[in-house]
Amino acid sequence: MKGKHKDILFGLYNDETELLDAVHTAHEDGLEIMDVYTPFPVHGLDEAMGLSESRLHIAGFVYGMLGIMTAFGFMTWVFTRDWPIIFGGKPYWSVPAFIPISFELTVLFSAVGMVVTFYVICGLGPGVKNPILHDRITDDKFCVAFETDGLAKDKIDGYRSFFSKTGASEVFEKNI
Amino acid sequence: MNQFTFTGKQKTFTFSLMFVGLLTALICLFMKGDGLRFWSNFLHNTVFFVGISFISLFILCAKSLAYSGWQTVFKRVWEAMSLFMPIGVIFLLIITLGIKMGWHDLYHWADADSVAHDKLLQAKSPFLNFTNYFLFTLIVGGYWIFTMYAYRRLSLREDNNAGLYSFNKIKALAGVFLFAGGYLACIMIWLWVMSIDAHWYSTMFAWYSAASWLVSTIAFTVLMMIYLQGKGYFPKFTDEHMHDLGKYLFGFSIFWTYLWFSQFMLIWYANIGEETTYFKLRIDEYPVLFYGNLVINFLLPFFVLMRNSTKRKHGTMIFVAIFVFFGHWMDYFQMIKPGVVETEHHLAHAAHDDHGSDTKHLDDAHKDEHKKEDAHKDDHAGDGHDDTHGDGHGDAHEESLRWGFGMPGYIEFGMFAGFLGLFLFVFFTGLGRASLTPENDIYLDESYHHHA
Repeated sequence: MKGKHKDILFGLYNDETELLDAVHTAHEDGLEIMDVYTPFPVHGLDEAMGLSESRLHIAGFVYGMLGIMTAFGFMTWVFTRDWPIIFGGKPYWSVPAFIPISFELTVLFSAVGMVVTFYVICGLGPGVKNPILHDRITDDKFCVAFETDGLAKDKIDGYRSFFSKTGASEVFEKNI
Repeated sequence: MNQFTFTGKQKTFTFSLMFVGLLTALICLFMKGDGLRFWSNFLHNTVFFVGISFISLFILCAKSLAYSGWQTVFKRVWEAMSLFMPIGVIFLLIITLGIKMGWHDLYHWADADSVAHDKLLQAKSPFLNFTNYFLFTLIVGGYWIFTMYAYRRLSLREDNNAGLYSFNKIKALAGVFLFAGGYLACIMIWLWVMSIDAHWYSTMFAWYSAASWLVSTIAFTVLMMIYLQGKGYFPKFTDEHMHDLGKYLFGFSIFWTYLWFSQFMLIWYANIGEETTYFKLRIDEYPVLFYGNLVINFLLPFFVLMRNSTKRKHGTMIFVAIFVFFGHWMDYFQMIKPGVVETEHHLAHAAHDDHGSDTKHLDDAHKDEHKKEDAHKDDHAGDGHDDTHGDGHGDAHEESLRWGFGMPGYIEFGMFAGFLGLFLFVFFTGLGRASLTPENDIYLDESYHHHA
């Protein structure tokens, strides 16, 4: 999307069953979908589009481990080396007392880390301009989009006939 | 195959399990003459399996009240699991009768002499007494059984009568049961299990043990679904359903750990003598049980089931489910057995005191004894000597090696097999009594199209 404009042909569907059927049909017909836009997560869409499993949760696990090690290591350092204090007659290095804080930092690190990673992967951030294909995609329409940059006319007609075959309510062409 | 048939082979299998259970029970009672071991096993297994059937009913009620649909395709499995409840409650009534008749000394509070010499037990006696134990077991158990049969009847009625009659009736039944049945279950677990450590109490205990039941129920469901699918039943039960059952197993294992830790942490931090006895006993004398519990029931399901794909692999699910099921059985083992041994020591000690000369330990006898004993133990820990204060109280350091109490021996596994056989027998019989798919359940279609 970096400044490069593309021709896009997209169709809008009225509900997610129609959308899922259309995506399946596109897969069978060998049409290459650029992307699918929906107002809410649709179950089964990932498999229908043939997307591989997200690796975001692996990053989450790593961040979580980082969090637990940070918390545990820091408390260990404070209570054994830097500033040992006795609380309630417990030993300096009281593991049960560290667990709640280790847990909290695990959650904090993995949550914040995953959000930031997600933004970076998706190229989101302050000042990013996002071209919107159609306003109603964020409301109640389900969109399948094809890239038509420099394609022959019969190929584009193939996309159009695909939309009419699968019952798209509206079809648009747009350069973004 | 919409109708389960309880084949001869399965019958032979369940009966042979029951036979093993009966055999080991008889060996324990008559050849070894170890009544305490028999009765504590009996209580342990009864509570474990009655809990599984209670939780099955509880999940069904929660499902109907939460308008949750995806489990509908296999809800008959949970119905069949809940059918064990009457037998379990009858077994508990036998234990109750045993208190009255003096067949066993599982409960310290049931011993009149101990109560007379023990301020703490006296203070607790308005709740911890035979009448309460009996009435609660009878009435609450009866209420559970009533709800279970009412649910089952309404669910079966729906098979022949389409419409919302059963749906609405079950919703009313579930609304009452989730509240009343749930809260009363706390009282039951206090009486059945927590009161074994009669001096001890924990407000987290009911949650913690119920979470243990919950995980075992899900593990058992997973195992049964994989087994029944292998036999060709439940063709509409897909990997999506298995995935969500896997999430339950994973999530509730963590829930259990959360409660386990909360109970431990609060008691450890507050460091009040009456509360710490429970954990001090288990950490000092039964470290394998105590830490092994966490490894099997937390670390194993946590790391194995963390990834999405493992919840869809039947082999992995069988592996985790078997371990976790056994792990929670062991969890109940470590809740019950150390307390039983402790009670045995107290009673032996009291008997010894009676033989002794005078009445100087009347009031705070046990408290003083405790203090002395703790001091003794500390000394021994210091110089590595074994105890010398003998008199039936002794050998505390060897408890973790005592078969049947510190570690489950063949009798424990045998009686577990017996109960499992009985449970499976009731389960298969109940499963065969009705069609496997609730054809008229309004959620059935949703359940068929479930996507995790």
